[in-house]
Amino acid sequence: MNDPYEVLGVSRNASDSEIKKAYHDLVKKYHPDNYADNPLADLASEKMKQINEAYDSITKARAAGGTSYGSSSSGGYQYGSQQSASNSYSYGYGYQGSTGGSQYREVRSLLNSNRLDAAESMLNGMPNRDAEWYYLRGEIAFRRGWLDEAAQNYQMACSMQPGNIQYRSALQRVSGTYSPYRQTNYQQSSDLNDACNICNALLCLNCLCGGGGCGR
Amino acid sequence: MFGYVRPLQPELRVRDYDAYHAAYCGLCRALAKRYGFRSRFLVNYDMTFLFLVRASVRPAARTRNCFCPARFWRKKPCICDDGGYDRVSACTVILCYCKILDNIRDSGFWKGLGYRLLKLVYHRPWKKASKDAPEFADLVRAKLLALSELEAAQSPSLDATADAFAAIVSACADDLPDEAVRRPAQALLYQVGRHIYLCDALDDLAEDLRADGYNPLRYRFVPTQTGLQAEDLAYLGRLMDSSVNLAGAALSLLPVRQYGALLENIVYLGLPAVYTAVKTGRFRAKAKEFPRKENQP
Repeated sequence: MNDPYEVLGVSRNASDSEIKKAYHDLVKKYHPDNYADNPLADLASEKMKQINEAYDSITKARAAGGTSYGSSSSGGYQYGSQQSASNSYSYGYGYQGSTGGSQYREVRSLLNSNRLDAAESMLNGMPNRDAEWYYLRGEIAFRRGWLDEAAQNYQMACSMQPGNIQYRSALQRVSGTYSPYRQTNYQQSSDLNDACNICNALLCLNCLCGGGGCGR
Repeated sequence: MFGYVRPLQPELRVRDYDAYHAAYCGLCRALAKRYGFRSRFLVNYDMTFLFLVRASVRPAARTRNCFCPARFWRKKPCICDDGGYDRVSACTVILCYCKILDNIRDSGFWKGLGYRLLKLVYHRPWKKASKDAPEFADLVRAKLLALSELEAAQSPSLDATADAFAAIVSACADDLPDEAVRRPAQALLYQVGRHIYLCDALDDLAEDLRADGYNPLRYRFVPTQTGLQAEDLAYLGRLMDSSVNLAGAALSLLPVRQYGALLENIVYLGLPAVYTAVKTGRFRAKAKEFPRKENQP
């Protein structure tokens, strides 16, 4: 197994809160919501497992090794967060609200195993074209990276069944203002943030004092 | 079709900026080393990105000061990573040669003469590159044929036309042996290829409308005489955002050892900035100085 500290990207003498923050950031980054209907979802779930294991082993080791870390509180937190992460994870990949018959279930299982051509030909062979049909077609297109076609199919599904949350969130994902959690290395640097904060503060002061010709 | 994948320079750290330049110069050097001096002129930003993606999972290579014919009075730092550049330089030569063939087909007799000359110049490098990456050369030929068929049929599908080009870009990572690297790299390059194609289509739209040439946006939407209507442009912008999100999700899964911040800059800031510049027409006007002068993502 990899070094848990390396997996979380923290140094060995990082404080508990630093580790917690690193863990939280990674969970947000690899959250199943960011990989919904994505063919790379299995890699993301693998990564999530590694992160959970690493966090688990660090908190356990620290709870057992030293009293200075406040073992009881950190242990409690760890359990809760891991539980919720794994819960939401399985929730993210499970299909909910399936109303279709056995054929739709088969298409979904083909989709899950990334056999897109087989799923598409099966879907094309169905005579009945309801909202679910369009939704599944959109999903095939989305997994291929064909976003325009996905958006059109999701739109069709939404207009046939406006109340369905699953269809609406799929449409939102491809042609809405949905933005997944992003953390670039530029935001991580505390020095840079401090420098920006100082600049911002100076700018605000300058404006308040009517400097820089803004008030003229 | 080149130059749409760039970092947003004002947001780059100095060390990332230096690494980007060393990667660019390294590609130029690798092209010359393998395919002769004339191939130096084929170096471009998009292929530098391809190198960075492939090199990000490799151990760090040495950077040395090498001779630069463009600035012969001083040496420039170049990444010397022959293993990392092999595939990238072969892909560069093959793609550029196909671009020349494409231009010959699209242009008239007098303008086509220049491209015919270029074809003669780059024929030997292309033959050598086709031997180095035969399956890539075959795939490029097949996909470009499919693309020209779609163009002839005036296809209204953005996805099918963009797919032909995106599949070519993603195939540049087909030879990576490790599945955990290959799959995210392919997904990332696919979305970047899509982005390049759609940016190019939007950039050429006004000209295609004037000259009555094929452009997928022209048949997918109902454009005015000069360009897309506001709501179509907004929809396209949202599709491009989703593309960037998918590219970012794939990038997160790449087990990077180096260049992580640089790649994030290109995907999250560079791609949207280029699209915004293309949309407002600033990209074409100031393509050369774009990465330096652009301040807003």
